[in-house]
Amino acid sequence: MKIKVELFGSSRDFSDKDHLELEVEDKALMKDLRNEIIKYLDKNFKGNINFIKIVKSSVFCSENNNIVSDNYKITKNEKIAIIPPIGGG
Amino acid sequence: MLHAKVIDIKEKKLTLSEAEKFVSSSNFGASIYFTGTVRNQNNNKNVIGITYDSHDELVLKSFKEIYNEADEKLKIKDKSVFIEHAKGYLNLEEISIIIAVACKHRDQAYVLSRYIIEEIKKKTPIWKKEHYADNQSEWLKGNPLINEKI
Repeated sequence: MKIKVELFGSSRDFSDKDHLELEVEDKALMKDLRNEIIKYLDKNFKGNINFIKIVKSSVFCSENNNIVSDNYKITKNEKIAIIPPIGGG
Repeated sequence: MLHAKVIDIKEKKLTLSEAEKFVSSSNFGASIYFTGTVRNQNNNKNVIGITYDSHDELVLKSFKEIYNEADEKLKIKDKSVFIEHAKGYLNLEEISIIIAVACKHRDQAYVLSRYIIEEIKKKTPIWKKEHYADNQSEWLKGNPLINEKI
């Protein structure tokens, strides 16, 4: 299934668009999506270490605005947001 | 009472007058106005502006949670709180955040104001990209979001 990953903060450098569209297996967990993002970065940014660090230190937000764990089951066509380390104010 | 908003800087600037209007009440004897502004130096670099990015829905959710937690943790029931955070490009000295609080007494107002900004730093998904005098720019590293996961 195709998943739209909305980009925020430092992850916006992953694409010229404001999101990524990635293919994951049906019944994929959030950790599978995290791995898919890393694969995407390997392919498109030659495994840019700084980008991969961002993904590893990020949390993810489900479509209904909950921060979810790596074992969260992604539903079909769900829109997921990547939340890199924060720093407002 | 809580007023919480993310303001797109292309539409309007943050102003203290709106905060004053919201929190002023004869029920409260103490008000604190905190503003965060863009400063010209960070890590020995000459900053000329900052772009703020925001996950708006999560930001508003976190503002409400922080407000409600203040009830439980600080036991300050009677209060008025105004929180606005900017998103988009801000020049030096422009206001990125306003936190206005009004309480019955000054001790409560000082504690509440400090509590809110410190919790925002830990829990609110907002990001800063600094722009420098040498035309470079950089997302600031930040801290991993501390939040209960489902």
